Amino acid sequence: MSESEMSRAKRHLETTRKMKDMLPRFFMRMLERRFNNEPLAWCMVGVPPELLKAFDLLFEWPENFGTMCASRLVAPRFIEVANNDGYSSELCSYVTNTMGYCKLFRETGEAPPESPLPGGMGTPSFLLGSGFICEPRWKWFQSVATRFFDVPVYSSDPLAPPWDVNPHDPRIEDHYLTLLREDLAGQIEFLEKQTGRKLDLDLLRDILTLSHRALTYWRDTLALRKAVPAPMGSTDYFHAIIPQMYLVGDQEAVDFYREMYEEVRDRVDRGIGIVDEEKYRLIWFGLPPWFNMGIFNYLESSGAVFAYESTYNVGDYFEVDLSDPLEALARRTWQRAVKMHDYGAEAMPELCNPAVFGGFAGSSLLDELVDDYSLNGAIMHLTRSCRAVSFGEVHTKNRLAKLGIPSLIFESDMTDPRLWSDAQIKNRLQAFLETLDRIKEETD
Amino acid sequence: MKDSACPNCDSQKSKIDDLDFISALKEKTGKPVIGFLCCFAPPELISAAGAIPYRITGKPGSDNTAADAYLEPYGCSYVRNIMARAAKKDFNALDGLVISHSCDMVQRLYGIWTYYHPFPYSYLFNVPHQITPWSRRFFKRELHFFRESLEKFTGRQVSNKNLVKEINLFNQNRQLVRDIYKMRSVDNPRAGGSEILEILLAGGRLPAPEFEILLREKIRLFAGRKPAKKIKKRILIWGSLIDHPALLKMIEKSGGSVVADDTCIGFRTWENDLPLTTDPYEGLTDHYFNNFLCPRTDRGPGLQKYNYLLDRIREYRVDGVVGYCISFCDPHKFDYPDLRDLLKAQGIPILLIDDNYSFEPAEAIQTRLQAFLEMI
Repeated sequence: MSESEMSRAKRHLETTRKMKDMLPRFFMRMLERRFNNEPLAWCMVGVPPELLKAFDLLFEWPENFGTMCASRLVAPRFIEVANNDGYSSELCSYVTNTMGYCKLFRETGEAPPESPLPGGMGTPSFLLGSGFICEPRWKWFQSVATRFFDVPVYSSDPLAPPWDVNPHDPRIEDHYLTLLREDLAGQIEFLEKQTGRKLDLDLLRDILTLSHRALTYWRDTLALRKAVPAPMGSTDYFHAIIPQMYLVGDQEAVDFYREMYEEVRDRVDRGIGIVDEEKYRLIWFGLPPWFNMGIFNYLESSGAVFAYESTYNVGDYFEVDLSDPLEALARRTWQRAVKMHDYGAEAMPELCNPAVFGGFAGSSLLDELVDDYSLNGAIMHLTRSCRAVSFGEVHTKNRLAKLGIPSLIFESDMTDPRLWSDAQIKNRLQAFLETLDRIKEETD
Repeated sequence: MKDSACPNCDSQKSKIDDLDFISALKEKTGKPVIGFLCCFAPPELISAAGAIPYRITGKPGSDNTAADAYLEPYGCSYVRNIMARAAKKDFNALDGLVISHSCDMVQRLYGIWTYYHPFPYSYLFNVPHQITPWSRRFFKRELHFFRESLEKFTGRQVSNKNLVKEINLFNQNRQLVRDIYKMRSVDNPRAGGSEILEILLAGGRLPAPEFEILLREKIRLFAGRKPAKKIKKRILIWGSLIDHPALLKMIEKSGGSVVADDTCIGFRTWENDLPLTTDPYEGLTDHYFNNFLCPRTDRGPGLQKYNYLLDRIREYRVDGVVGYCISFCDPHKFDYPDLRDLLKAQGIPILLIDDNYSFEPAEAIQTRLQAFLEMI
């Protein structure tokens, strides 16, 4: 890996380009509150952001911090510190990035100068973990609280039935929903204790209403990607998920996703694509290489576009009755998990999955996507340090092959650019596109 | 690739293959045999339902390439080994498969395995990671769902009376295993750690009454032996699953004696009796959910969660700890730095062996063990 091999992403939408102004404004607001010594929660994705808003909490996402460290190419510094501290390089690189950061923070009493955010991630007052998707996510906060910040931790622990159990059986539903409800109640009790505040259910309902309004625009935007030529690209997609973490429940998020929807709608109406000649329509599996998002533009330069990404695709199955906002949160999680079960996602994590957040594997959803999005190939990023998302890619490849859709699996990582081998990966990508050409010639 | 890469794995060759062993077991008992992975779905329930629980093991160092058609290369090499064995039809004689949701990799193996190689019966036993009143209630409900599925498959109702009978049988074996372990607390143990692991592995393939016979035979054998003449360095093994004695043999060859462990086929399974409670499912929940000390369960931040290990180190007068982590074993790899620092602060040396479930290169591992044993 050399830094010159890494390229920043070019976004296609005006809306996502504007994030460069919007997000710093948000981070400055948060920073101001940090300087006022407001309690800060470090949170794992899977903790409902609406709940954080309802408690008016100051929060940070170490996973997202990992993506920022990756894109600024400072992650190797933190990861190396963690590796030298005994954390295996096989562990999730979002985790080792955090552990290295924390170690440096504790040694100097301040955020390491390489940190992408001013003041880094700050000093947490408590940790809100989540067992969604994988176990490293709660082990992570267990370790942070053991080694670096002796603060209270709550890790939510949702589960969903395995693929061969019928989630529509009322007894099964009750079995799992009871756990989800009780776990959520535990999470709220913890937050009330830490903040000294009672949860305002009316406020939570209002926040959920706004949140779901934003998600509706996001879902509808993603559906517009069925259009040929592709009106937006993966670089837009992966950047556009950030407001869902920080701004959901704010009018600002609704405005952002509405603008995005309108812009994409307009492009579809006018037949504007992101490349001049769209030759390949692909589906992306796995986490993106955050340190080299320009790889998507590289593929676009060969006429390859992604119409769908399996990861972070939280755009669907969120509509629930909001009259009881707590029941709505539990049911939203359940409903998303059940929906994926209905598709028969045999290699999905048994942990409850907020829609297809962590990516899906196998599943008859593939049949629908191939038709609806006019896909003719799949590219899968096998991330060495994240098995949660990449486990199941071989199985997905097998199922796609049955549909006549060729796929390529290439190996690297989401955070650590040292695992990126530019020439080798680009050669493989080009060879794959040539394979698609050959298949097309044979079928024409 | 050779079938058994490690010179210390030769003893594995003398064992009867799973396929033949399971077939013979079925013929002899007339009962269905249900394979299981990990220690959360109680084998007592499988027995009470009229089936034989059969602990599935891998073959360290054997060729994993048959797994490549189903699983990624980046994944627990033990899980890949099991999948490779499944692809080679090693487990085809099983009537059923039970996998506990222990760690991520094992849990996700279930979906892939049962999709490509379905069994007449299969069950994923779901287990929460957090110890809370509600996760405990979930586990207890899950026990009943598991019982129902077994009853449906075997056609035999699991009465509390039958279940208690099985619990008593298993508890008897737990006591006998602890008796054998106790033989290692003395200065010059009559039984080697590798020998004991062999017994436990054999027991995983036997119905409880037959295992009891084996344990009693071995106890008589060990008791009749003269104590070892030379006092060796006393080693505790901590870490990922060990279902082959190769590593223990290497330690013994290097002049150490494995006197205790903290591994799942070892002490974690046998340490405590399953409590007999008025409602037997309460006891099952205590034993398999609350008290089973696998790092896949969150026991909170801080180092107090290792107190049991420090107690064991004192009880067995351990000179040093050998940590064993299988590639991509997240639960243990997360815990290692904390445990290392804790042991260091207590003056207890630890050596970590990071392995891809092959015990290879054997010479390099042996050299590291020798150096460690010379140092302590």
